[in-house]
Amino acid sequence: MAEKAMEAKKKGQKKSSEDYTYVGMVFHRLTRHKLAMVGAFMLIFILLFVFVGPLVWRANPNEQIEGLEGMFNVPSRAHPMGTDDYGRDVLARMFFGGRISLFIGFISAITSTLIGALVGLVAGYYGGWADDLLMRFTDAMLSIPTFPLLIALASVLGKGVWQIILVIVIFGWMVDARLVRGLVLSLKEQEYVEAAHAIGASANRIMWRHLFPNTLAVLIVSTTIGIGGAIIYEASISFLGFGVQAPFASWGNMLQNAQQFIWNSPRLIIYPGLAIFMTVLGFNFFGDGLRDAIDPKLKL
Amino acid sequence: MRDYIIRRVLGMIPLILIVMIVSFGIFSLVPSPFAALMENPRIKKADIQRLQHAWGFDLPWYLRFFKWFSGVIRGDWGPSLLYPGSMARDVIARALPVTVRLMGIEFLVSLVIALPIGIISAVKQYSVTDYVVTVISFLGMSMPSFWLGLMMMMLFSVVLKRPDGITPLLPAGGIITPGLEDASFWVKFGDRAQYLVLPVFVLSFISIGGYARYMRSSMLEVIRQDYIRTARAKGVPERSVVNKHALRNAMIPIVTLVALSMPGIVGGAAITETIFNIPGMGRLIIAAEIKADYPTAMIGLLLISVLVIVFNLVADIVYAWVDPRIKYS
Repeated sequence: MAEKAMEAKKKGQKKSSEDYTYVGMVFHRLTRHKLAMVGAFMLIFILLFVFVGPLVWRANPNEQIEGLEGMFNVPSRAHPMGTDDYGRDVLARMFFGGRISLFIGFISAITSTLIGALVGLVAGYYGGWADDLLMRFTDAMLSIPTFPLLIALASVLGKGVWQIILVIVIFGWMVDARLVRGLVLSLKEQEYVEAAHAIGASANRIMWRHLFPNTLAVLIVSTTIGIGGAIIYEASISFLGFGVQAPFASWGNMLQNAQQFIWNSPRLIIYPGLAIFMTVLGFNFFGDGLRDAIDPKLKL
Repeated sequence: MRDYIIRRVLGMIPLILIVMIVSFGIFSLVPSPFAALMENPRIKKADIQRLQHAWGFDLPWYLRFFKWFSGVIRGDWGPSLLYPGSMARDVIARALPVTVRLMGIEFLVSLVIALPIGIISAVKQYSVTDYVVTVISFLGMSMPSFWLGLMMMMLFSVVLKRPDGITPLLPAGGIITPGLEDASFWVKFGDRAQYLVLPVFVLSFISIGGYARYMRSSMLEVIRQDYIRTARAKGVPERSVVNKHALRNAMIPIVTLVALSMPGIVGGAAITETIFNIPGMGRLIIAAEIKADYPTAMIGLLLISVLVIVFNLVADIVYAWVDPRIKYS
């Protein structure tokens, strides 16, 4: 795949691309993709906000101000984003909620991609009954409406961060499995796989050392877009009240009781929602750019 | 072709069985609602045990599955736990039309807007229009539905008022104004339409992006073909190259899009229905499953899954029928 991309690159562009490695070339193409760069800047902004923010604004996200005066404060010097219905500092909750939301997004997207890759590799490489069995199961999982079962499972498993990740992963690996299987079916016919067979490489070695690296580019794209999807899932589960439990903040559970605030305190809805929206948009822009950047057929 | 269809239909049976077992298995994790009654000293233990037995909660989940499944085969879907006194089938039948109306209108609105947008942005690839469409599509795809719903509700039901200055411009939720149930058809029609504006807008905004990008890539694929170049070369006006030669073939993948959207029209949108207080399928299924009302939840889920499986086949068959290049063997 890398070689092909390099060749396409050589033919397509005057600028010598022989100095570039594959990663360097993808990076070079990515920097010329406008929307990807917009997405990258949005993500850098969000990451700075979430990780550097608390170093600058050292408020405790779970500390409640007692009494009626503490609740629903409008933004002021003491509380730049105001306080919420328990009198907690909204800005601090935005920082720590963002960390949780991003953590759930990253871990569940990466894990479901890896599980999908494992299923796809085994099904595609071995074929036969292993393929039949795994792919029928994948098909069945794809025909089940995800969201209701996600909620059912989340309501049973409990409301910790790891439980939410588990739930998202259980319903998130199928598309990657199909993707990898498709790639493996064509990759395993190539000469280098035959050569690996010839020198007596084990099935495990061929799958992980020869086939998997060649699916990596596609998997990175799907993980990038998957992070955005997982963040939305977390937010939706938390919005319905089955997500990360108080007092811990996540952008999703900050919106949990938000519907009753639309009359008096719309800020409490606007901030976390905007953060989710920007983050997901950033991942989508960046992931789409990445997809274009690794596609050798596309001129950038 | 006939053999292909027969093979696919037979293949559906194990698929549907797996779907049933997996969903039932997950539902059975929800604890029995009767166990909590044990705490209450005023209820006789024997009564609780009788209830547990009637619902099958005294059995391990796979035996309960067989109990439920043998009822289903005989056409008995069981009573609903969420709405005591109703049959699960009737509970679903009440929610279904509400959801089909909402999602059907949403689907039509989205298609009517998304298809032309997708075609224009493909024909004018890399133009300003194309960029604007791409960015708006991404905005829609990245928008959490509950957030957009709440923002719209804030704008149209809280901030903006009708000329009288008191009533909000659009109702914040529900499906019909109370007391209007017996009004004339057109009054009811107008009333229901008001309640649909916000949810339809929210759902369409989110799905239009995906549809438009799908149409765009299908159109781009066709425009690159040789026969389009031939048409241009022999002097066919650009208008009819696009409208006649390209569009007809670019519409073929839309068959798949429409077929695969059908299950969603029945399944509803749980979050949007929750926000706008619409008694539809999405909300019902979630309410049923967290109350361990497995008969109701299973009908809902099965309905959606079976439609997904059936319409996948329908999509493939219709695709082969409109596109003679595709042959199944």
